[in-house]
Amino acid sequence: MPQPEVATHPAVRRLARRLAVGLFLDRWPVWAGVALLSAGTGALICRMFVPRASPYLPWLWLSPVVAAIPALVVALRRRYRPADLVALADWLGGGHGLLLALFETRDPLWSAPPLVARAAQFGQPRFRLRGVMATLAPAIAFLAIAVLLPQRQPKAAANPALAKQMVADLSAAVAQLAQQQAITPAEEQRLEDEIRQVQQSAERRVDASSWEAADALRQQLASALAAKQDAVRWAHDAVARYAAAAKADGPASANAEARAAELTQALEKLAQAGLAGSKAAQVLRGLEDGTLATDAGNLAELTDALASELGETGGRLAGPGALGAEGGRFDPAEFPTSSDAGPDGDGDPGSGGINRGRGDADLTWGQETKPFDKFKSTPLPPGAARSPDDWTPVVVLPGAPQEDPTLSTSAAARAYADTLGLEAWRRSLAPRHLSAVKKYFGKDHDRDKEP
Amino acid sequence: MTEPASSLLAPDRVADGQAKVARVVAGLRRAIVGKEQVIDEVVTALLARGHVLLEGLPGLGKTELVKALSRLLSLDVRRIQFTPDLLPTDVTGSHILQERDGRRDFVFHAGPIFTNLLLADEINRASPKTQAALLEAMQERRVTTFGETRALPAPFFVLATQNPIELEGTYPLPEAQLDRFMFKVDVAGVEASVLEEILVTRVHGEPPPLEPVLTSADLFDLFAIVDAVHLPRGVAGYIARLVAASHPASPDAPEAVKTFVKYGSSPRAAISIGVAARGLALLQGKPSVGFDDVRRVAPPAMAHRLVLDYAARLEGWDGRRVVAALLEAVSEVERGLPRTLDAR
Repeated sequence: MPQPEVATHPAVRRLARRLAVGLFLDRWPVWAGVALLSAGTGALICRMFVPRASPYLPWLWLSPVVAAIPALVVALRRRYRPADLVALADWLGGGHGLLLALFETRDPLWSAPPLVARAAQFGQPRFRLRGVMATLAPAIAFLAIAVLLPQRQPKAAANPALAKQMVADLSAAVAQLAQQQAITPAEEQRLEDEIRQVQQSAERRVDASSWEAADALRQQLASALAAKQDAVRWAHDAVARYAAAAKADGPASANAEARAAELTQALEKLAQAGLAGSKAAQVLRGLEDGTLATDAGNLAELTDALASELGETGGRLAGPGALGAEGGRFDPAEFPTSSDAGPDGDGDPGSGGINRGRGDADLTWGQETKPFDKFKSTPLPPGAARSPDDWTPVVVLPGAPQEDPTLSTSAAARAYADTLGLEAWRRSLAPRHLSAVKKYFGKDHDRDKEP
Repeated sequence: MTEPASSLLAPDRVADGQAKVARVVAGLRRAIVGKEQVIDEVVTALLARGHVLLEGLPGLGKTELVKALSRLLSLDVRRIQFTPDLLPTDVTGSHILQERDGRRDFVFHAGPIFTNLLLADEINRASPKTQAALLEAMQERRVTTFGETRALPAPFFVLATQNPIELEGTYPLPEAQLDRFMFKVDVAGVEASVLEEILVTRVHGEPPPLEPVLTSADLFDLFAIVDAVHLPRGVAGYIARLVAASHPASPDAPEAVKTFVKYGSSPRAAISIGVAARGLALLQGKPSVGFDDVRRVAPPAMAHRLVLDYAARLEGWDGRRVVAALLEAVSEVERGLPRTLDAR
């Protein structure tokens, strides 16, 4: 059945298009807003937990388009019937009824184009886009913020290369020490176990504690090396002292025996450190058994061989010993022995103060800070209260009352009644109390009371 | 003569009818100055063959309007001054024992209601019994006395007046009788410029002489044209929704109706609005009724049919104000614009 002519009039068709868009906009902004919010939530989740989805997040801007599809379907299903359309057109044109009548009757006498054109003159409805924008703008902003957020990186994954690099110098040092027989096999095994633990921990997770563990192990190794170096040095010095004593006083002298005891202790410590070579073991055995050569020639030869062996051992330890400095071990050589270049320039180590030389210097006396004599004690007056009878005003403030206390009460009342008193109650009295006050205290009342 | 409802009136028929109505309106405007809206409403009710209750203060031209209308339409007019002692038979007429041909017999003497245009002046001063005598006449257009029913002459209009201020000694019209008036027209005061015009043109306030502008045949032809004015379904639906929403129990009733209306308008109100809107459409030269016609005839057709609650009187609401709220709340079209569209 063909549509009546009024239903196909251009103005009515334009109205139909606007109504269709209006129906679409009735639903779509809300649905698009929900879609944008959902997309924003999804983007947030991806930003936090799914970094692989990061390249696809811009596609979320298509969510309003997706929401438009069901909105279009709903708008299509709720579209205006021709009768509703013509009724709306008639209503918008002032409600004269001619469009409706022509739609229903299709009367040819009234369907002349000028008449229909006049009847179809109506203002097209306007879109109210402010509400649409108010719905969409927050959702768009939310999605924009979610998409623009920086991608959260997950916890660092296992990094074997980094872990290996972290303990590489330690492993190299231990291997070097083992090759040079600077450490015992047991020590080597223990160090390797600890290095392996640090490495395995770093492979699971690298953080500050991994580096701290490696540093601690490095310092431990440096300390052990330093102890070994000290033992070698002590043994070397003890041999030199024993040799000198034996040469000067004879092996049987008391001094030589004391040095022999020291040498015994030094060699035992060396043996405990695993650094006792064949000569050291021979000398230690001779010292303990008392079978050490007593003639000067053999003794000198033996001590020279021992010193040579200790020197060789000390030389082996010198290379890996640098590890201790790298590990942060305090080395006094790195610091100047005096602080003459300090800002105060007094530079007396040990005399105290933050700028007076090194903190580890021996304390010196005699240049301490002089006693400060500016604050001398001053005796305070006695704390007893004075008599209230002999008080005198310290100061008179500007706002203090200036009445003469010698005036009698009645004289004072006469003097101030006309000014201060009246002014006072005029200013402070509530309006509803004025009449009562006037009644009892006003001038008329006083006049009446006067004889 | 009734036009087929499926087609619109021919343009020349509409123009002819509008011209005839325009002559009546022009004559009334000559007689009554400054009462254009009252004249339009009275003529609309006349075209719709409805009765009118004119309410206003004395001296505003109510009676003069009825007189002018009778002269313009060359109709028989009677006037009844309603008083408290007026009896129903004084209105309808009665049987009187009369000797005729040597026999005594009851002869019916028609009352003043047997006329074309009845001016019921100050109708609220008569007793309810007398007011009730008008009920059958107004609705059925016939009178029954002593068991005999007599048809009233056609056309038959009742134009009643009442004074809203002198309420002592009056009997307010019952709702049943109010419902029989198609329109209740409020006759308001006039502006100073209108008064000046009256003073200049009328020495003693008498209206200018009027000549009949319509014959009885013309009047019936007009009635036929009014009946043929097309009432679109959309507009009929608007009238139906409007009347239905005047009931406080209706889900579509606005807050004012729910608060102040005790009983809503009757179906007779919907019929009255429909036919009155047809009359108004013809008055404006239109072949069909529009929403604007309904909006214009709804207040005089509905306001007096609403039974208001006592709260309305306390809050100062009257029927016209409630109808205005109703018109504001009920949409003309069954399906309005989408929310995102705004009418200019």
